[in-house]
Parts: sequence; C-alpha cells; structure tokens
Amino acid sequence: MKPNDKIPEGNPFKVPESYFREVNKKIISATAGNDMHETHKSFRISLRQFLAIAASVAVLALLTYTGSMLFSPGHESLSLNDNPSETYPEELVNDIDLIVLEENAVSLDIPEGRSGMNNQDIVDYLVQEDIDINDIYEQL
Amino acid sequence: MLTSSKPDNDIFNLLETDLNKGFSLVVERYSTRLYWHIRRLVILHEDADDALQNTFINAWRNISGFRSESSLYTWLYAIATNEALALINKRSRTSAVSLDDLGTFFANSIEGNTWFDGDEAQVKLQNAILQLPEKQRIVFNLKYYDDMTYEDMSKVLKTSVGALKASYHHAVKKIENLLTGN
Repeated sequence: MKPNDKIPEGNPFKVPESYFREVNKKIISATAGNDMHETHKSFRISLRQFLAIAASVAVLALLTYTGSMLFSPGHESLSLNDNPSETYPEELVNDIDLIVLEENAVSLDIPEGRSGMNNQDIVDYLVQEDIDINDIYEQL
Repeated sequence: MLTSSKPDNDIFNLLETDLNKGFSLVVERYSTRLYWHIRRLVILHEDADDALQNTFINAWRNISGFRSESSLYTWLYAIATNEALALINKRSRTSAVSLDDLGTFFANSIEGNTWFDGDEAQVKLQNAILQLPEKQRIVFNLKYYDDMTYEDMSKVLKTSVGALKASYHHAVKKIENLLTGN
C-alpha cells in the first residue's frame, strides 16, 4: 500500500471466523473436487477411442474397396499393367527413351570428331531416321 | 505486500500433471486476495462471497484453455473484477438504483454493517472511494490496496499504462480533497 499522509491505512472490512477455510472447501468441492473435468476427460477419451475405431474401419473399407477394384477382372484403369508402353503414348515412351539414349551415348565415350559427329548429332540422326529405339537397345 | 512477482511455476506444473490438485492450489493461493479485491468493490460480505465463488467456478471452467504464457494472477483478477461488476450491475437493476447513485447506495451499506469495523476516518475514506467513477475506483483499489503494478493492471483492465497512471493520480487527488473537505 502506497503511503499517503491524507489517506488512512488499514482494512476496515471483516469476515466471519474461519471464513476463508470454509469457502476454500466449498469452492474446491464445487470445482476440482467433483470430478467435473475428470468426467469430461473420460468422455473425451472414449470419444477419441470411438473416432480411432471409426477411422480404422474407414481405412479398412477403403483398402478393401481399392483392392477389389485393383484385382477385379476387366478393370483396366487401376490394374498393374505389365506393358506400360501399351498404356502410355508412344511419343512419351520415345521421349523418355531418348533421355536414356543420350545418357548411354555419353557412357560409350565416343570421342568427338572421330566420326565427325558429336553425341547429340547421333541422337538427332537416329530420331530423324525414325530408328526403332528397341533395335538400339538390342545393340547396347 | 501482494504482488505478481511470486512465481506460479509450481501451480503450472501441477496443473499439467494433476488438474484437480493444481486447481485446489490455485484456490488456496488466491482466494483471500481475490476476496478482498471483490469486497472493496461490492462492500457487502455476502455479495463478495457470491462473487468469489463465481470467480473460481468461472476459472475452473476455463482452466484447461489457460496458457501458462499469461499470468495466472492477472487472469484471475480480471475474472474477479468482472464478477464484481456483474454483481454491482445486477444490484443496480434489482434495487432500482442508477449506477450514478450506487456510491450513495454503497455508502449507506457501510455504517452499521456487521462486517465493517472501521473508525470514523475509515468510514470517510470508504465513502470517498465510493464517490469515484467505477473504473477509477477499481484502479485506485488495485494500486492502493493490492499494490499492483501498472503493467499487471493494464492486463487486468485492458487499459493502457498511461491511462491507468492518470486515473490513479486523479483518484488520489479526489479522495484527498473529499477527506480534507476541499
């Protein structure tokens, strides 16, 4: 309390005897002592368990559905296709293979100038001549 | 001297591990000072008793969402202040007393009250405090009786430190003038 000559100090208010001990007991029994939060906690736990079970069932159902779609006969879009070239456009396959070809041409280490062509020239030639990529693979 | 400097780390730790025990400790540590803060606002012991219990019930309902980054001290004081003000407003409605006349209404409750044991000087002081506007009365009480820092008060009352300093300064001047008959 800040000292002030004109303002008297002290607390003129009183409380009944043992008031604070009694009111603390009353408050605690109405709050922390009545397991209100415990009830809510156990409700939250059981709700969490329920949600976990529901989520597991949903995942299982999804997996079952997905599996049945994957392995059902006649369903093409989700099947594991052994011949990806039949699924993807030929141009796309050839583009991918060109990248592989270029990488293999580099690994062959053909000295430039020996044939008068660099590796990019060779690849360009092959593309121009419409050489079948698979024939080249057979040669590698 | 009641300040916020006393750390509540032990309470926070206990609230984390055992909510019920932690909250019991909150009650034991804060009930007395909160009671007196409320009492100085509502004057009557019975009303302060009601508001105190409502304060802790309110705090208990919201304790799970309380973040230790805030101060338990200012949080509880804010709840207590709101409960006291709610009671005062309710009384003004039920007693058909306007908020402006509440000071007189309360002053009449002081003298002769079983739970008031002050001398003449204290009666005059409490009457003078009751003449202050409501918010200024709260500021005066928190500073003069609880010695709360302006920073803490700012969190309790959601008012800037500068405004609180000015409010307290004016409150002290008014009370001094009332006590000296100026």
